[in-house]
Amino acid sequence: MEPELLLAATIALGLAVVFAPPRVPRANLLTWGLLGLAGMAAIAVAPSLDLVLLILLVLAVLQARLASHRDFATRLRAPVLAVVLMALGLAFERMQGPVVLERFGAVGIVAGLVAAVGLLPYAHEFDPEESVVASPIPWIAFVGPLLAAAVVSQASKVVPADAGDAFGAMLIGLGLLNMVWGSVGSWRTANDSAAWRYSFMSDWGLALCGFGLAIADGRAAALIILFSVVLGRLPLYLWSRQALREKVPTERPINLVVAAVLAGSAPFAGFPARVLLLRGATQLYWPLALMLAAAMLLWLPGSLRLGRSMGVPRGRQAVGVAIVLALNVLLGVYPQPLLALAGL
Amino acid sequence: MAGAAFVAWLGAAIVVLADGRRGLALGLALLTITLAVLTWPAGMAVGSVAIGVGGLIAAVQCWRSGPAEWGIMPAGSTPRLILCIASGLLGFWLAASVTTGPDASRRFAVLLVTGLMGARVLISRDVTVVLAGIAGLALALATASGLAAGSPGPIPAIVGGLIAAGVMFVPAARIPSSIQAVAPARANKDGT
Repeated sequence: MEPELLLAATIALGLAVVFAPPRVPRANLLTWGLLGLAGMAAIAVAPSLDLVLLILLVLAVLQARLASHRDFATRLRAPVLAVVLMALGLAFERMQGPVVLERFGAVGIVAGLVAAVGLLPYAHEFDPEESVVASPIPWIAFVGPLLAAAVVSQASKVVPADAGDAFGAMLIGLGLLNMVWGSVGSWRTANDSAAWRYSFMSDWGLALCGFGLAIADGRAAALIILFSVVLGRLPLYLWSRQALREKVPTERPINLVVAAVLAGSAPFAGFPARVLLLRGATQLYWPLALMLAAAMLLWLPGSLRLGRSMGVPRGRQAVGVAIVLALNVLLGVYPQPLLALAGL
Repeated sequence: MAGAAFVAWLGAAIVVLADGRRGLALGLALLTITLAVLTWPAGMAVGSVAIGVGGLIAAVQCWRSGPAEWGIMPAGSTPRLILCIASGLLGFWLAASVTTGPDASRRFAVLLVTGLMGARVLISRDVTVVLAGIAGLALALATASGLAAGSPGPIPAIVGGLIAAGVMFVPAARIPSSIQAVAPARANKDGT
């Protein structure tokens, strides 16, 4: 799953740089994006979770040294908390002891993953006016997807079967929490930039549930959702920042189409992911599918709001939005090649 | 080995309790030596050397940066002292009583140093202190790889040593005066 997500991140970086608004310093964006990609490549090939944590630490320090409104120590807190939680969880898994210790270890790994990405209950401090590269957005939308895939993959090697239930339950529980909180937040919060951040959280809720189901349908749903975050929501957010500053909501057809992409409606990428997730949940425990279906309805108001906040894309951005829409339609209509590539 | 584990606790406690560069450097040096000693018998000779060299470079760099004072247990550090004692007791209980098998000293050191270094980073705003905490955390992660059932090889330890050595040379970006002076809403109009 990691190579596919690395490819998606590379394409997203290319789109972000090529179709960036004129005032955006592309060299800066490209430099830090390539640095992030290098770290992600290292995470993808790392043979153990220890190495993943060390690489995560390096990425966190490098990002924290960027100039920003938040100070160095503040920006390092969440990633360091993530590394500590995952390291303690990993240590518990490796020690010989009672089963409860292994379960604590599983809880630590999931909590650390959530803290690294910046989801509830460890949401990173977010300043809407902060530059994107120095903000928590790269964690939740650029590095995070590959990191999550790598952590879940490596954790499956160290978490024993006795603690596997705790691992999956934690993922599903936190996934549901983020789905509901993120959807309601993106609908009700006053600030449009914050609404976008909440929308990332809600998508991550679906991905966490997919990973937690631990069956092929769940993993496939998680992969498609993470793809749609990297190749859909992230570029759309980057191109919406100008309109967000101008605070001019627009209600053109393109805004409705963007809202449909963000809401995961057919024929876009989020739709097959939701179908797979519901199918997987039905196989495992049908009341979970009911809860997921209810939570999915909450996407609509927030997505309509975000679609309106995008303004009317013009020039380069219009081309970029068209490419993103095309990619999402392709993934939505025919996700099989991607899933086959990931061995799902 | 029990002595090494105690010295690891002492080193981590000094890093937590110190605000001056000399105290931090002393804590890091103690940590480094004991983690290297604890790693050596686990068949990680190369890794042990990497941890030792990386940690000592970090300690030397720490000695040379920040306020030239020891700063151990300044006023208001009682909560930190309680944290050190309580975490030591908890770590001892987990490593010696709850878990089983050989290498209790290494288990104790890994749990304790990871927890205390994380706490140090979370409670501090000073860049030198945070970097010292991260260097200590990288060393703990490098040592933790030796807890795996199969031999992890020296790579995690070498990477951990490199990070510990390199992180102390990272210059933290200062908040630009333009950002400090103007309202946050006007600080960045580029959108990146």
